[in-house]
Amino acid sequence: MNDTQRCSRISNVFYNRGLEKAQIRDLTGAAECLKKSLQFNKYNTDARNLLGLICYEVGETAQALLQWVVSSNLQPEHNRASYYLHEIQGSPGRLEDESVHIRRYNQALVQAQNDNAQLAILQLRRVVEHKPNYIQAHMLLALLYMGQEDYGKAGKSLYKVLQIDRNNPRASWYMSIVKKNTGRADVEKRKLKNAFSHHQMEDDDIILPPSYKENTGWQTILHIVAGLAIGAAFVFFLIMPSQEEKLNESHNQEINGVLEQLNQKNMDIDSLTKERDAFREERDEAQGRLSEIEEENGGIIRQYQQLVQILRAYRLDDFETAVQLYSDLDGTQITDGPMQAIIGEIREDMEESGYQVLADLGSRARDEGDPDQAIAWYQKSLAIRPDNPQVLYDMAMVYQGKGEDDTANELFGQIIMSDPDSELAQQARTARGY
Amino acid sequence: MINFEEELSRFKPSLEVEEVEDAIINGDLTDMSDLLMDMVKQGVRNKEGKEQSDE
Repeated sequence: MNDTQRCSRISNVFYNRGLEKAQIRDLTGAAECLKKSLQFNKYNTDARNLLGLICYEVGETAQALLQWVVSSNLQPEHNRASYYLHEIQGSPGRLEDESVHIRRYNQALVQAQNDNAQLAILQLRRVVEHKPNYIQAHMLLALLYMGQEDYGKAGKSLYKVLQIDRNNPRASWYMSIVKKNTGRADVEKRKLKNAFSHHQMEDDDIILPPSYKENTGWQTILHIVAGLAIGAAFVFFLIMPSQEEKLNESHNQEINGVLEQLNQKNMDIDSLTKERDAFREERDEAQGRLSEIEEENGGIIRQYQQLVQILRAYRLDDFETAVQLYSDLDGTQITDGPMQAIIGEIREDMEESGYQVLADLGSRARDEGDPDQAIAWYQKSLAIRPDNPQVLYDMAMVYQGKGEDDTANELFGQIIMSDPDSELAQQARTARGY
Repeated sequence: MINFEEELSRFKPSLEVEEVEDAIINGDLTDMSDLLMDMVKQGVRNKEGKEQSDE
């Protein structure tokens, strides 16, 4: 075996070790073995390709490209590196994105080393957001968080690193510090102690499940209270709603029945009200008709009675009473021929001298201070003889005395118009004032 | 306890994609076989030189 063969064999040994470590995700250890393998045999294509793959897995894309390009050059045929290169270069924009993220990491590193941790953290957070397997970025971010004593966030970054590279020594060390500062280390130590604490079991030992706990008095009470609460909640939320729904349904049915009855009664009331109104109308109509008939008949009878009283006053030679009764007589309602003749005679007598009696009655009432009665007598006198200027004048004076100047002036006007040159016309002008 | 500054100084910039070409050109691919071959060649050369000087 010559030296070259020996070197090749050693290279293979390191490659195999590197492969084993890569298979259990000890990527740092694997990368070290593969680098040693290549130091013994640079033509170990598998070792170089695997090293490139590990670099790619931890986010070092440029390093991966470097290894694969070299590998392709050293072994142009039947080389898996060509496939890797084709995969990366085949996707449009992928290399540019990778380049941007790597450059951003480098900038963040410069910023961090120049006491600009906040800006570096911002940059790194963007980098790991787009490139979550970029171990270096996670590590730097974790270190910066630790520098700010934000161990929770540092722990998260380190956890991601250790998921990708399980035995990364620096990440493990950082993580141990983080755990110490967050108290996580003590918890794990206790768990470990429990896990490995063994003792000889006796025959009557009982293995209790970890979830089992001995109940104390308070816990029993609490459990009873909780049970009651659950029972009450069950009744309240499951049984009560259904019962309530049933009751509501039966009540609704009852209400519907009552409402139907009410509607029927309302309809009956409406029809009865309409009937009552119709009957009332009929009654009022009948009453009106009856009163009309009564009035008609009563009026005629009254006129006959009036006439009889006038004749009686004549017989007693009481002309004043006869005149008064005549003033209320409506002779048109008496249609009998003989009666009409009697009425005609009476009318002639009244036109001749009865009007003056009525005028005198008016003047007497005026003198007695009863102007309304005086006006009434004057009007009755004028009804028998309308153009009596003296009566018109007397009535006008009464109106004027009452303060009803318009009516008085109208009457004065009639007097002046009927005979402008008469003495009464002159007096009327004087009384009127113009 | 961690020394923040010291730890920070351990971080090195990542190789950028644009720098791959230069890295390949300037990269040292020498392996153990190359060194051994160089050593063998050097030994042969030294032996030949010694023989020539003896003659």
